[in-house]
Amino acid sequence: MRQGVVTLFTLLALVTPLAAMAQEAYPSRPITLVAPFPPGGVADLTARPVAAAMEKVLRNPVGVVNKTGAAGAVGMQYVAASKPDGYTLLLALSSISIIPEADKVFDRPPAFTVDQFAPIALISADPTILVVPADKPWKTAKDFIEDARKRPGQISYSSSGIYGTLHMAMELLSHAAGIRLRHIPTPGAGPALTAILGGHVDALASGPAVVLPHLKSGKLRALAGWGDKRVAALPDVPTFKELGYPDAEFYIWAGVFAPKGTPEPVLAKLRETLRVAVGEPEFKGAMDKLETPIVFKQGEEFQKFFDADARRLAAGVRKVGRVEDKK
Amino acid sequence: MLETLGNLGAGFSVALSPPILFYAFVGCVIGTLVGVLPGVGPLAGISLLLPATFGLDATRAIVMLAGIYYGAMYGGSTTSILMRIPGEAASVMTCIDGYAMARKGRAGAALAIAAVGSYVAGTGSIVGLMALAPPLATFALRFGPPEYTALYVLGLLVLAYMSSGSMVKSLAMAALGLLLGMVGIDQMTGYFRYAYGVVELGDGLGVVPVAVGLFGVAEILASAGQPAPPEVIKPRMRELLPTRQEWRESGWPIARGTVLGFLIGILPGSAHIIASFVSYAVEKRWSRHPEQFGHGAVAGVAGPESANNSATSGAMVPMLALGVPSGPIPAVMLAAIMVHGVAPGPLLIQQQPQLFWGFIASMYVGNVMLLILNLPLVGLFVNILRVPYPYLYPAILIFATLGVYAVNNSVVDVWIMLVTGLLGWLLRKLDFETAPVVLGVVLAPLLELSLRQSLAMSDGHYGIFVQRPIAATLLAAGAALVLLNLYSFVRRGLDWRAKLALAEKGEAQ
Repeated sequence: MRQGVVTLFTLLALVTPLAAMAQEAYPSRPITLVAPFPPGGVADLTARPVAAAMEKVLRNPVGVVNKTGAAGAVGMQYVAASKPDGYTLLLALSSISIIPEADKVFDRPPAFTVDQFAPIALISADPTILVVPADKPWKTAKDFIEDARKRPGQISYSSSGIYGTLHMAMELLSHAAGIRLRHIPTPGAGPALTAILGGHVDALASGPAVVLPHLKSGKLRALAGWGDKRVAALPDVPTFKELGYPDAEFYIWAGVFAPKGTPEPVLAKLRETLRVAVGEPEFKGAMDKLETPIVFKQGEEFQKFFDADARRLAAGVRKVGRVEDKK
Repeated sequence: MLETLGNLGAGFSVALSPPILFYAFVGCVIGTLVGVLPGVGPLAGISLLLPATFGLDATRAIVMLAGIYYGAMYGGSTTSILMRIPGEAASVMTCIDGYAMARKGRAGAALAIAAVGSYVAGTGSIVGLMALAPPLATFALRFGPPEYTALYVLGLLVLAYMSSGSMVKSLAMAALGLLLGMVGIDQMTGYFRYAYGVVELGDGLGVVPVAVGLFGVAEILASAGQPAPPEVIKPRMRELLPTRQEWRESGWPIARGTVLGFLIGILPGSAHIIASFVSYAVEKRWSRHPEQFGHGAVAGVAGPESANNSATSGAMVPMLALGVPSGPIPAVMLAAIMVHGVAPGPLLIQQQPQLFWGFIASMYVGNVMLLILNLPLVGLFVNILRVPYPYLYPAILIFATLGVYAVNNSVVDVWIMLVTGLLGWLLRKLDFETAPVVLGVVLAPLLELSLRQSLAMSDGHYGIFVQRPIAATLLAAGAALVLLNLYSFVRRGLDWRAKLALAEKGEAQ
């Protein structure tokens, strides 16, 4: 028995340097793409076609692992702490910039910080849109904002959770327009939608794809969008920017990150891989079906987008502050 | 009605076509497997298979994924009955009487009743899904936070009402469960509670690790502590089938479980878990022999196992009729059909009749397949009990650990299982029931969130619970239950519960 153990360790000792040498030709073993949210959500639905397309380009297995928990913090912390060798990547959403800020607000040691990641590429960016039940009196965003001014704290909205993406979108609008709304957090984007369809709240900021069927069936009405431009599927819905609230800009985006310290040649290879991957017809088809526009940015361009977004969100989180402190 | 039959006929022509039949079969087999493995529940199974469905068309994809969902409800009872480890969270209640039946040598009967109950419930609830989907789904949407709060309060009261032995003890256990359920991020403010810097605890204590720990690990520890090893049960082939008496005892519980499970399943949330709890409570209440519960009551297996199965069909009502996911599993299934360009929503049934009716028909077919698949397996599974304990217990521990780890790929979950295992052992020694703890852990986050959401909606006014008719009705039912209990308590002093406790004490001496 002891003999066996010794042999095993000897073998391991021999194999380890071999594995290290093999890394010269990246990639030589399966790559893990961590989706920090449960299956069925935006992160997961984007990660799977991304992984499939990368696999095709690299001719190397790329697997999606859902490391979920604490609004994504568990999976993000996991990637931040993993070896920067290009074999563990992260598919993150906007919340990557929100979580460290929220940690700061609560004076707790952050689970991770934004600068622990090297951005590789932005895959998609979808502005949220403001929807209200069709039986509510507001026909335009102007009606909505004016009514909210008259009745501060009376109009309610559901969100995907405190400091979640759908909450932040509404907060950015509230501050831009100088209104106060009543926040009803729910555990996710799905329950938030259920709440508005059931008539339990008055408004919701949501990704366009999720509410499109309900806009078509006439249950909900779209008032305005948070984007820089109008949403292609909803050409008649104006943006808050057009309406004079340039600070109400918000996207639900998805991007691929590596841990900081990943060697530059590996990052370059990954950027190139993703550039080709997003052009694959199957990938385009998958994203089309999700009604999510592909917005590809890499290198400096992505960094700029990421920094601007992180700044906006950080400011938003600080303005929200600790919830009970406001009362 | 005639139109429905015509549609269903067309649906069957889809469901019986070889490719759909094949995918339904694959789904059912995988579902049975993930149901049997503790920890790995239908959500994990469906998520793992989701990418594989990208290459199929929407109907095949949803037929296969639904097969996994209801298949898991069939498989989930197996380890509960044989090892007292819930195969998935909805089978927690089956651990109690199913395992007790197994200890009496009736494992085969318990497994067979669970399978037949699942079949009846599965098939019966599809009729409900077919006939009532649109009106019921609209009704379910009227359940907002205040209605949920009232429902959960009622659930806790029913639990107190059903408890055997000391009511104080079981309320204490429910309170312990509620307290354990407080661990995690405060959903309203974002504060971490009792997380002590462990990011994983931010999500709270999962139901699966807690249930596997409290039931499975505690059972193993308790058996290991006995001076003489328990006798190995050697089931004989002719004892595999339930007796006439056992069939009679399971008839009504299966029927009640079916209706109850379906109705609860429609409501958003972890309905299949709650459905099984409520069914157990109802059966115990309705039973002429409540003292048998906990000691191998057939109804305690038949009811919950039927309820969790029909809850899966119920969960599909809002999903198919409104495009609203009623829980994480329907959410993944919605994602699977969206990937194929089918827009879920109120128009799905009209626009995709082939998908809707094919899907419904495939569920009928799938349930028949599962029955055929599961009944012969009963004979096979029961043989596990022949394995001597020194081999069986370590194997079960490995099995449970792997399963719990697999839920979130989290070592923290394994620790939670081990710690709650120790806790469960301690509680058993002290004569406490552990099922209320699990119910508390399930209900605490739901109750807390809906209560605080309600108060946020009303700006802090408690009146919201009586102004809304559904919430008020539910609370009134709860109040009636309490009054009824007080009345019988005052009038008789000793009711069946106290007698039962006395009987149990006599047994312990």
